Amino acid sequence: MNSGSKHELPADSEWAQWLGRHAPALLLFARQQVGREADAQDLVQEAVVESWRRQSDGAPPPLGLVYATIRHRAIDLARRNERRLAREVAAQFDSAPCWFDSGVEERERSLLIQKAMTNLPEIYRNVVTLKVWGGLTFSEIGETLEIPANTAASRYRYGLIELRKLTKEVLA
Amino acid sequence: MNEQEQERYEAELRRTPPVRLPDDFMARLKAAMPPTEPAPRGPLRPAAGIPGWWPALRWLATAMALFIVILLAARTNFAPKPVKPEPVSANYGMKADDVQVNEELVSSFDVVAKLPGGQPVRFRCRQWMNQLIVTDNHRGVEIKETSPRVEVIPVQIETY
Repeated sequence: MNSGSKHELPADSEWAQWLGRHAPALLLFARQQVGREADAQDLVQEAVVESWRRQSDGAPPPLGLVYATIRHRAIDLARRNERRLAREVAAQFDSAPCWFDSGVEERERSLLIQKAMTNLPEIYRNVVTLKVWGGLTFSEIGETLEIPANTAASRYRYGLIELRKLTKEVLA
Repeated sequence: MNEQEQERYEAELRRTPPVRLPDDFMARLKAAMPPTEPAPRGPLRPAAGIPGWWPALRWLATAMALFIVILLAARTNFAPKPVKPEPVSANYGMKADDVQVNEELVSSFDVVAKLPGGQPVRFRCRQWMNQLIVTDNHRGVEIKETSPRVEVIPVQIETY
């Protein structure tokens, strides 16, 4: 999806830095919400642009707001394409691009973490992703997922325990 | 998992960061971002194809609606209220030429009763018929009202 704007952000602008710092985690979260890579990229773009427009001062939006927008747009997309998504989500992990950055020697480790994250129940996966790679606080995670902060914290703890079991081959 | 183990495991996970954005997506994302400086807002102009008097029509419609509401409210509050016809009295316009008040003795008799102590006492009972006669000769109307009245008077305590 392209909004049609023709300008480019300067490489050293506040926005370019913000994107460079947060966009990978945003795309990781979006990839976990939808099956198709193109849909994930569209979600990130829509969420970032929409969240930016909500800011009256032109500053980058709160990170939790962008994650929440991605989640809401993913839910909308799932409702529109329920049948197609159910089929694609089941097959996404065989053909999905690698979620994590790695060199040649650590590729196996990255793929194992990705597979473990895939097998983690969604309620744990979202919280772990937002906490570990998104850098959100439990309060922000609660607002993003519309759950109490204490629930987010307990889900995170249970999620880490489950993830550790699934990755015990490569991680301590 | 204790706290130290959890922190160590988190650090292990963070050693594997999310993959960088594909170059084409990053370029598309940057291109889609709105300009940092918000554009100054100029005066509103009618869209192409809409005549210049169109905005004035919106105000006119609003003013008309307001006027109609005020008019209805005024009609509701200040309309003359219908006069309720008062019921015509039977005496309306009647002028009595003659009023007679009479009483007629219908019957008179004595009765003897006993007090709780067993002592007899005599009462005199009289039945009266009161009469009120109002006459309007001009209209040829005569209204006559009669009502019975009973009078009981203790006379004396009997001794046998």
